[in-house]
Amino acid sequence: MSISLNKGGNLSLTKTDPTLKNIIVGLGWDARPTDGADFDLDASAFMVKADGKVRGDADFIFYNQLKSTCGSVEHTGDNKTGAGDGDDESLIVLLDKVPADIERIVLTVTIHDAEGRKQNFGQVSNAYMRIVNKDNNNEVARFDLSEDASIETAMTFGEIYKHGGEWKFKAVGQGYSGGLAALAKQYGINI
Amino acid sequence: MNIFKGQRIALASLFENNAQADRFQVGLSISGNKEAIDFACFGLDSQQKLSDDAYMTFFNQPKMPCGAVELSTPTGDTLGFSCQLAKLPTKIDKLVFTAAIDGSTSMGQIKDGYLRFLIGNQEVARFAFSSVDFQDEKAVMLGELYRKDGAWRFSAICQGFNGGMAALVKHFGGEVAEETPLPVSTKLSLENKLASAPKLINLAKKATVSLEKYQLQETVARVGLVLDASGSMMNQYRTGKVQEVIERLLPLAVHFDDDGELDVWAFSSNVLALPAATLNNYADFINTTEGGWRNWGMMSINNEPKVIKQVIELYQKTLLPVLVIFISDGGVSRNKEIKDLLTGAACLPIFWQFVGIGGRNYGVLEQLDTMAGRVVDNCGFFALDDLNSISEQELYDRLLSEFPLWLKAAKNKHIL
Repeated sequence: MSISLNKGGNLSLTKTDPTLKNIIVGLGWDARPTDGADFDLDASAFMVKADGKVRGDADFIFYNQLKSTCGSVEHTGDNKTGAGDGDDESLIVLLDKVPADIERIVLTVTIHDAEGRKQNFGQVSNAYMRIVNKDNNNEVARFDLSEDASIETAMTFGEIYKHGGEWKFKAVGQGYSGGLAALAKQYGINI
Repeated sequence: MNIFKGQRIALASLFENNAQADRFQVGLSISGNKEAIDFACFGLDSQQKLSDDAYMTFFNQPKMPCGAVELSTPTGDTLGFSCQLAKLPTKIDKLVFTAAIDGSTSMGQIKDGYLRFLIGNQEVARFAFSSVDFQDEKAVMLGELYRKDGAWRFSAICQGFNGGMAALVKHFGGEVAEETPLPVSTKLSLENKLASAPKLINLAKKATVSLEKYQLQETVARVGLVLDASGSMMNQYRTGKVQEVIERLLPLAVHFDDDGELDVWAFSSNVLALPAATLNNYADFINTTEGGWRNWGMMSINNEPKVIKQVIELYQKTLLPVLVIFISDGGVSRNKEIKDLLTGAACLPIFWQFVGIGGRNYGVLEQLDTMAGRVVDNCGFFALDDLNSISEQELYDRLLSEFPLWLKAAKNKHIL
């Protein structure tokens, strides 16, 4: 059974699903019913060390760099409108392959060209992030953004992190203005 | 206090106390517009629909029956409402404040405007917007009050529709009188086309009803028919049932096909591509074509993969969509091969409608509808005890119900 998390909540992935080795991080949102530019949400992941920074640019997985060198994090491709049922974008995380010096995988979502299109998360309907066990397709955890969304254009949705020998997931829901560039800078990417 | 586009906020946080949140005014204003703007407040149900027209408040209907929202314009505003949310029936979940331009300009051409909350003519909060928040929308939702976990919240939206008030009302589930006439069909009616085939003319009307129902009147497609001619089918051939299949399907081919031909294959352990069935040769097709069915070298075991491959080969380069109707009486055993072929064919412009007739053990055919791993669902299946067990009308309905869904999905995936 899937656990629904509120902003700030966390759970032990290892305890919740002991079989969990390979994760699909699914991101979804509703295509806008109104006219105007589509909402194009992009999922990205930052693989960071204990100090909260990446080791290098290769630890930033996004639509232009779909796979980490170690192969532990992979982006499955860009959806530009949110049309269709189910997850609109997803990342695959292979826990066993995550390098030892990586402590956290930060899962972020940004609105493409938010500035130009005058868009923010508060206008996107039913955005969520979910953690799915890739090997049996069971949803382990889910975080619905809806009421936590506001005028931000970039958001740390959640984190998969090591804690005392187990893997945990935290629903962060922390927004930023400044888009992907601001986020990338925060995690130590030079843009 | 300022509210920004996209922001969601507890209504109570705008006011000093609960008494204020219980009774307040909403003021609306837009400036720089060259044409008249109509403001309105829509009371929607939990399905986000205007289920009761009485809950749309505007100049022609200045008050909700419950009195919760009433036209009342604060000084300095273009229009406004006084609100007492406690009076709202529980079925109303949301109040959406809208603006619609009555004319040819759009919201992208206004100067600016605002939606504000007031207590006794004193402003307590303001959501300001300007032309840059819009593009070509003529009718927009400026903001909405909605129930969430027992409390009211406000969301600043600024989104809308290029189609104006009519599109907005439609979005809320309302009905707007249709002004544009339906396009006149450029296709010759099926009845006219079948005029030369008196035996089929009575089918024209029934097929047309189904074609209209599934909005396939204008669709151009090739139509293929695959006939199971394995030994177990012998009785169906002998008693004329297979001939009936040809006669019932030909009207569909005549309708869809650019050349009015129905491509026909018969298969058993081997495959025989028959000359196409047309209005000129359909009568007694089974008994006369290629020396008649007894001389086709069929009536042995069934090898579906072989015929599927031939069908794919013929159609894979076509630019038109293809409807293949595949008749089987079951005994299907080459499940994996069939599954692999059809999965691989999902990227081709071919839709496979399998029809089980009078048999059993349809094997993988029964799972094709839900088979995973395909770009689009390119297969349909239904089984009949006997062709005569359903009416011709129902037969057409069942043959055509999944094809339009595939057409749509295939277009979305750029297969067509």
